[in-house]
Amino acid sequence: MKRLLAVLALAGLGLFALAAPASAHNSLISSNPAENASMEAGPQTVVLTFDQPVQDGQGLNSVAITGPDGKEWQGGPATVDSNVVSAPVRELGPRGVYTIGYRVVSADGHPVSGKVTFTLTKDGNGTPAENTEDAQALPGGSGDEDGGLPIWVWLVGAAVLLGAGLFVALRIGGKSAE
Amino acid sequence: MTAPRTTAFGRLHLVGAMVVTAMVGVLVGLLLTPVTPIPGVPEPDAVVRYGLPIARVLFDLAAVVTVGLNLLPILVGLTRPKAAAQVLAGARRAAAFSALTLAVCALIALVLQTAEVHPTRDGSGISPAAVVDYVVAVSAGKALVFVAAVALVSFGLSIWAVRSGDAVPAELRAAVALFALLPLPVTGHATDWRWQDYAMISMELHVLGAAVWTGGLGAVVVVLATNRTLLAATLPRFSRLATACLCVVAATGLFNAVVELGSVPGRSLVDSLFGTGYGTLVILKLVCFGLLAALGANIRWRLLPGVVRHQRTTLAGWATLELAVMGAAFGFAVVLTRTPVG
Repeated sequence: MKRLLAVLALAGLGLFALAAPASAHNSLISSNPAENASMEAGPQTVVLTFDQPVQDGQGLNSVAITGPDGKEWQGGPATVDSNVVSAPVRELGPRGVYTIGYRVVSADGHPVSGKVTFTLTKDGNGTPAENTEDAQALPGGSGDEDGGLPIWVWLVGAAVLLGAGLFVALRIGGKSAE
Repeated sequence: MTAPRTTAFGRLHLVGAMVVTAMVGVLVGLLLTPVTPIPGVPEPDAVVRYGLPIARVLFDLAAVVTVGLNLLPILVGLTRPKAAAQVLAGARRAAAFSALTLAVCALIALVLQTAEVHPTRDGSGISPAAVVDYVVAVSAGKALVFVAAVALVSFGLSIWAVRSGDAVPAELRAAVALFALLPLPVTGHATDWRWQDYAMISMELHVLGAAVWTGGLGAVVVVLATNRTLLAATLPRFSRLATACLCVVAATGLFNAVVELGSVPGRSLVDSLFGTGYGTLVILKLVCFGLLAALGANIRWRLLPGVVRHQRTTLAGWATLELAVMGAAFGFAVVLTRTPVG
């Protein structure tokens, strides 16, 4: 029992040595345009403010503006400044309900997604992003598409490693086993 | 060579029951917390949505088994009969294998978590460079690499112990195994910043308590059940430890649930407990805990006296049931750590 307590105490010490900054799950606290806002002219940029810093990185965060016709209206990739994510918006088109969809990675590595809707009350003169494929490549924009390995390749690698380990664990000669 | 192997691997169906209920727990948890697609934003595909929690629960179970097997020499004690040597030799082989499983699960989880934050539409896969980027950018990635490294150290220590027996200090092996549990909860979502430090420490204690309790029970029952002498000496010692773990798990779990559920802006505690998927999972974990307390009490007061008198008991059956409930609790826990409240 004493030895056990010693081990547990040791593990407890390790706990404090490892006290890296922990982060809560991120959540959206405000946005511009605000939820359910209505306006005559579309915004130049969409600003999303979270309660915790957002992880900045190539292709980690995406913001998309979807119009009433299902077309996409974002003008480029999202940028991150601590806990504020902003994305440029094209000049909007037909009036109706627009949805700002977002998927950002919070500092703890968990993706957080959600949406905000606003209403455009007057038709604009804008045109949507070229085609859906391009529009989606914009916010995602992961530049390392080439050289990607399908997940099964990783899994096969893992299985080979495990098999080798099982072989070693079973085959290795032991003093007390003889 | 064959004797220790059969003693260590003979009762694997007990662990199998735990793995199955853990998977069921994950699937139930995923069904309770559906993801609503957001227009225009790519979502990770099904391999990630289901594969990641499954990899994480296998990771948790491997960690639990590793902790239990490495604690076993200490639980059995120094003054043990000669018969213990052969049993413990088998346990060392199993510990080496479970530590390696832990390392591999950590790496699979790392790849899947990279895929989760880099959703692609065409399923073009994950490049090694993307994984490296993820480790550099995200603390959860660093934590997984750290866990994999500690697990490999544990693997090495167990292999060394297989070769040279008690020359390897049991305390060192146990401490390394427990140390592998620590990095990940630090990077999981703790809570609202005001309570963050307390919630993080509480979460670490919760994880340690749950792992020692589950792993200890599994190791004692799977490895020792056929040896009544060893069981009679070990089970009372484990039972005291399990009681302590039970108290720690209950206190820290309640604290974290209250802090997490109470942190939802604009919702009362009761409202978020009964109105959200997160709250439902908390209730399911409370039910699991109630069952575990009852099952533990049954072993402690009804079966233990018989075990101490070297009598034949129904311990294995009851312990299987307890391990199965523990597995379900781990499954719910995995989904819980990945679910935003509200």
